[in-house]
Amino acid sequence: MSETFFPVNDLLRRKLQTSLAIVSLTLCVASSVFLILFGEKLGFGIFTATEKVLTVSFSKIFLQFMYFIGVLIFIVGVVIVSFMAFVMMSQRVRDVGLMKAAGCPNDLIFGYFLTELLIVAFLGCFFGVFLGVLADFASASLLGSFGMQAPQTSIDVWLLLQVFLLFFALVMIFGLKPILDATKIEPAKAISPTQYFGLTKAPEFRAIKKGLVIKIASRGLFRRKSATIRIVLCLAVVFILTTITIAGGIIADQTTKNWVEKAVGRDILLIAHHDVCSQYKLLLSKFYETDEIPQFDYANGEYLIPENLLSQLNLMHENVTVEQRLILQAHVKEVKGYILRETTGGTKEVGDNREGESIIIGVEPQNVLNEWFHEGKLLSDDEALEALIGDSLAGKMFELPLNQQITLFNTSLKIVGVCLDPINNGNITYIPLKTLQNITGILKPNILVAKITSANRTEVLSRLTTLVKNVNPNFEVAELDETLNKNLNFLSFIWSTIMFLPIFSLAAAALCLIGYVMLAITEQKQELGILRVLGAKPKTVLGIVAWQSLIVLLSSCAAGIELGIIITLLILIPKPIVTSFAVIQIAGWLLSALVIIFIFSLYPAIKFMKKPLRELVA
Amino acid sequence: MRANNLAVFASGLCKDYEIGDLKIEALKNVNLKIESGEFVVISGPSGSGKTSLLNIIGGIDKPTSGKIFVFGEDLSVKDEDFLADFRCNKVGFVFQSYNLVSTLTVAENVAFPMEWTRKSEEHIRKRVEELLELVGLQHRANHFPSQLSGGEQQRVAFARALANDPPLLLADEPTGNLDAKTSQKIVEILIKLKDAGKTIFVATHDSQILELADQRLHLSDGRLVSLDE
Repeated sequence: MSETFFPVNDLLRRKLQTSLAIVSLTLCVASSVFLILFGEKLGFGIFTATEKVLTVSFSKIFLQFMYFIGVLIFIVGVVIVSFMAFVMMSQRVRDVGLMKAAGCPNDLIFGYFLTELLIVAFLGCFFGVFLGVLADFASASLLGSFGMQAPQTSIDVWLLLQVFLLFFALVMIFGLKPILDATKIEPAKAISPTQYFGLTKAPEFRAIKKGLVIKIASRGLFRRKSATIRIVLCLAVVFILTTITIAGGIIADQTTKNWVEKAVGRDILLIAHHDVCSQYKLLLSKFYETDEIPQFDYANGEYLIPENLLSQLNLMHENVTVEQRLILQAHVKEVKGYILRETTGGTKEVGDNREGESIIIGVEPQNVLNEWFHEGKLLSDDEALEALIGDSLAGKMFELPLNQQITLFNTSLKIVGVCLDPINNGNITYIPLKTLQNITGILKPNILVAKITSANRTEVLSRLTTLVKNVNPNFEVAELDETLNKNLNFLSFIWSTIMFLPIFSLAAAALCLIGYVMLAITEQKQELGILRVLGAKPKTVLGIVAWQSLIVLLSSCAAGIELGIIITLLILIPKPIVTSFAVIQIAGWLLSALVIIFIFSLYPAIKFMKKPLRELVA
Repeated sequence: MRANNLAVFASGLCKDYEIGDLKIEALKNVNLKIESGEFVVISGPSGSGKTSLLNIIGGIDKPTSGKIFVFGEDLSVKDEDFLADFRCNKVGFVFQSYNLVSTLTVAENVAFPMEWTRKSEEHIRKRVEELLELVGLQHRANHFPSQLSGGEQQRVAFARALANDPPLLLADEPTGNLDAKTSQKIVEILIKLKDAGKTIFVATHDSQILELADQRLHLSDGRLVSLDE
């Protein structure tokens, strides 16, 4: 027997097992490579460039997700790789026993199986890296077709080599242990499957008419205790990953979209000079677009709202609610604050003297048409020297914003709250309108934010447009819904991308379960054949294997989903919004994943059922 | 048709196996008649086709050509669901290597063929006790197969084969793995079953079992001959 030909021929002869091991390994490596490459383009790239798109808080939540998913995908990779190596070798214990019984020396047997492991590990890791790079290219192209540009980076060969070597080493480490164990087993033990049993108890006999299938199935699981525990752990990690991505993705999508939608307001109209309207939309689009916004003179007298327009709009107050705003741009400065030291009772200085540019918007605190998700308080007094700042401004320029002040137009204002707002990507300061007017001397608003309260929206909107145009043809009524929808679509895209990341891991998990079922069938082959000989119909045998698969799936699913939900709701998303629709959606997705994995796992059993009965009992 | 009055009727039975390009003829034009209640023993060297013939009579395998009637049923044309019911109710199998289900206890091994035939729990319990008494293993009811000796396992296999009180018992080398003393117990069980009027078809070389036979057959290179003629 040639030392090189035996392992190759052996792998080729066992086509299904070999391809299963290689494909699982390929998917594990591919998911890690894809996560690293694509994550760098989308997730971590976004986080490191928060000035371009997404506010700091959104990026933080997004990064936390990416971090968790990244760690989990790696853990899943390690667990699946170790499990597949274990399954591969567990199926060979009998062969090892037969070879030993035939007089083959231990070192030669070790050499054969080591060569097999090397071949499988190399092919799996190589194809995995290749598939990961391919998936990254495909996703980047998809991103482009959505009109979003992913930064094009050249392939980091060194990084790919590191991933390849890491997984190759993992396969070798986890695969060598079962080979060594198998070569140490006495031939008689290796040949006899009963040696794996832990069945020493003698339970009282009871005829269970309907439970025979479940009894055989559950005892079969117990018999393969080691493999069962491994697959349950493996699938549990996969379900944590799946829950975080699916449940987390859906909840985070709804929560963050809710924040943005409330901050901008639904069905909100903008009444202003058309240049100001365009500029305002550009400021809103900074949430998802990286283009620089051109300089704009907000204080231009032409942009101020004429008195007669305000008075005429007041006549429509039954149908339209109007809020006056003054939007400006200003150089802002951080003012140091002080906090009490709990231990000494003294004070501690916080913050620095950082400076930057911010959009300043004066609003009527009692009349604001939108709602912000915020920390601290909202503006309450019409003339108070206080400010509500956007999360990006707070994150970049302040240490403890709620204990600090902000200086603009040479006036210091107390920061009372930090809000999430997509305008100018969170680089924004809201202050009371009258305060801003007093500070700047600009006594008129340059923007009106309006909402139609009448049921007949189209008719009122038409009247409103005519009224505005009659006062000044350069003024217009603009709808913000289109820009808002683009913001929401961008968030949806990001979360759906996150939800796509663990797809390889899920596929690898399904293959793992197939591997486990194959192991179960191999070990029970003769017994299942005997059941058939003694009158069990093929569907009974399928039932036994299906029960085993289901018990494994449900055990891992229970643990995995529970932990996944806890991580999602308690760690990843602050104040999550969970609607009943979201619960149905999450349950639907998870159930689909469960059903798909379950159906795939039945493939070996269906294949087994087609085998001639005489082969099973031979 | 005459086949309806016989326990087993085989005519022109052939069985071929293909292994790669190689064609093996396991049975060549086998003709066989077994009356109800008859004790038939078949012998022959290893690879002569004994197990193939038993498999075909028991509905485990189908002939390549020819006809096989068991209790009037043409098994060569029946589907798998019919054959499963047939194996459960009409035939009891005993194998050389016992083939007990290792995850079930002795009592459960004896009980499970009955559990597929919708018999009452009470009936199953009584029948298990009765059969274990028949094979002398009442005290081993709650043990697992791995805790039994080879002879005990084979006696459990007999009890299991009789669970649904099948009219035909097929045994493939039932004493092949046992020593002479243990084989004697199996022979005693076979005598009890013969006296009970079961149709028994045994593939064996055991002289004690050959002595019990009403009809002795010999298979050689796939061809069946009678040793009684």
